Amino acid sequence: MPRWGMTVDLDRCTGCEACVTACHAENNIPTVGPEEAARGRAMHWIRVERYWEGEFPDVRLKFRPVFCQQCDNAPCEPVCPTYASYHTDDGLNAQVYNRCIGTRYCANACSYNVRFFNFHNPEWDRPLDLQLNPDVSVREVGVMEKCTFCIQRIQAARIEARADDEEGAIEDGALQPACAQSCTANALVFGDLDDPESRASRLSRSPRGGKLLEELGAEPSVTYLQKGDWYESGGG
Amino acid sequence: MNNEHKRTRRKRLAALLMGVFAGAVLLIAFAVGGRVATGQSAPARSGSDSVFSPAHATFREALVHFLGWRPEPEQPIPFPHRTHFEEAFLGCTDCHNGAARGPIARIPSVVFCMDCHFDIATDREPIQLLTSYYDRGQEPPWERIYGWNPEAHVRFNHAPHVRRDIECSVCHGDVTQMIVAEPAVDHTMSFCVACHEQNQASIDCVTCHY
Ligand code: HEC
Ligand code: HEC
Ligand code: HEC
Ligand code: HEC
Ligand code: HEC
Repeated sequence: MPRWGMTVDLDRCTGCEACVTACHAENNIPTVGPEEAARGRAMHWIRVERYWEGEFPDVRLKFRPVFCQQCDNAPCEPVCPTYASYHTDDGLNAQVYNRCIGTRYCANACSYNVRFFNFHNPEWDRPLDLQLNPDVSVREVGVMEKCTFCIQRIQAARIEARADDEEGAIEDGALQPACAQSCTANALVFGDLDDPESRASRLSRSPRGGKLLEELGAEPSVTYLQKGDWYESGGG
Repeated sequence: MNNEHKRTRRKRLAALLMGVFAGAVLLIAFAVGGRVATGQSAPARSGSDSVFSPAHATFREALVHFLGWRPEPEQPIPFPHRTHFEEAFLGCTDCHNGAARGPIARIPSVVFCMDCHFDIATDREPIQLLTSYYDRGQEPPWERIYGWNPEAHVRFNHAPHVRRDIECSVCHGDVTQMIVAEPAVDHTMSFCVACHEQNQASIDCVTCHY
């Protein structure tokens, strides 16, 4: 059983937001419009945060893509009264939409602000609905949603791998979520953290690595890579 | 004693009133079949509106989904599965050729039917109807028999089952003997999970729900 994780190389990220676009397209994520966005209800399973470093004129712009950290000790899970938010054996924080009754406790508990609630039924002007991904549910009003590491791709890869051999091992790099696939700078790397040879696993052991808000003890599965002192530069 | 008696009577009356009220709501809902006013333009999952939304278009639709009712499917042409098994010697995956490869089994295109029906049984009314669809470049609007409501968020995949040699009949009944395909098996969650548990297949929620 693999343990899925990701690394984000902040020294590579150019802030182009191709990942954001790809994620919206892959996962049927609606846009909510300006009024709702102003009320903090925008839904982006992945967002690119922007930070300025240094004093003028020696300024540097840094970007940080943030998405569900798929924590091993996830604060969102124990607060769910219906077990809609639970941990899978391959290390994902799963969200079961039809189990969700919309208490929003999980979003409250999340330290990374990466869970999104459907305050309204999403809408797509026809014929834009034809671009919806048939492998992914369209979530209705009252349901919480978040980054799934593209679970639909993980399931498809698992099924395909088992068709080829009994073991069903998924080759490193053969499976990518939409964000990593579309990252032009190769800043996002996805893989099995339990495989010491996988790219994601090797990168996550890099001395440049660190976790977001590590001191909270949520044990995220996502490692951020950055030159220099991680904490001083506002990484942690 | 007397007080208690009164209380139970009051409770029964309340229950009766509630029942009558619920009944009235149902009746009105079905009579009107109208839109629930949402304050916004009412979108539809299936209608011809200019927006697509997972919202139920009508209260009636929501209720039907909630109660799990399905109308009898009405097929444009009575397609006889038995005839094609017994007289045309076609196997299931000759027509439903996606079953071994991916999530959907696929309904064959009318182009495929015409491979045979340009010559076979051309004098019969159903085949003439089939040919007219072909001539117009249209697919017959087959109605679905299986499948779940969208809000059940179920993702099914044929391939892993067919590759493990699970017979079609386990999940669809004996289609070889059906004149028109009918829903023979109830695809409830316990139906799926019971077999998964027996065969050590995954029963993780996100195996089937995402
Ligand atoms: C000649 C092509 C052909 C063959 C062979 C065939 N089918 Fe079909 N099947 C169809 C068509 C066309 C439909 C759609 C019409 C209908 O539903 O009655 C259909 C519908 C179905 C449906 C209903 C699907 C749904 O949800 O609407 C099932 C189940 C099915 N077939 C199973 C089978 C099985 C099992 C076999 C093998 C015993 C088989 N079919 C053989 C053409 C075929
Ligand atoms: C391999 C050849 C073959 C293919 C492909 C095929 N059929 Fe047939 N079909 C037959 C044969 C043989 C019969 C039986 C004719 C008879 O009764 O003499 C038949 C009978 C029928 C009948 C019954 C006609 C009647 O009223 O007696 C219908 C309807 C029909 N087919 C529809 C279809 C449709 C729809 C498709 C495509 C999904 C299809 N067939 C594909 C060979 C085929
Ligand atoms: C493990 C149970 C199972 C088995 C085995 C199975 N099916 Fe299905 N089939 C389903 C379910 C469930 C659906 C409805 C899926 C949906 O709507 O998402 C379905 C839908 C279908 C449909 C209509 C929709 C589509 O996928 O195109 C056809 C046709 C079909 N099956 C044919 C077959 C044939 C032919 C076989 C054998 C080769 C087969 N099925 C084996 C469970 C099964
Ligand atoms: C007759 C037994 C049986 C039934 C009924 C059945 N399944 Fe399965 N299913 C299996 C087996 C066995 C496997 C494992 C296949 C493998 O090892 O590759 C499986 C695998 C799967 C997978 C892929 C699992 C993975 O590990 O990625 C999905 C999805 C699935 N089933 C969904 C369903 C759904 C939904 C239903 C109900 C409509 C259903 N199954 C009914 C036997 C069954
Ligand atoms: C093997 C496949 C499978 C697995 C595993 C599975 N389910 Fe289901 N589930 C289904 C199917 C199929 C339905 C649709 C039943 C129906 O509509 O009659 C369903 C329906 C449901 C519903 C009702 C949805 C509705 O609106 O009708 C809930 C809630 C649900 N599942 C929760 C779960 C949870 C929680 C888990 C994990 C513990 C889980 N399921 C695991 C196949 C599965």
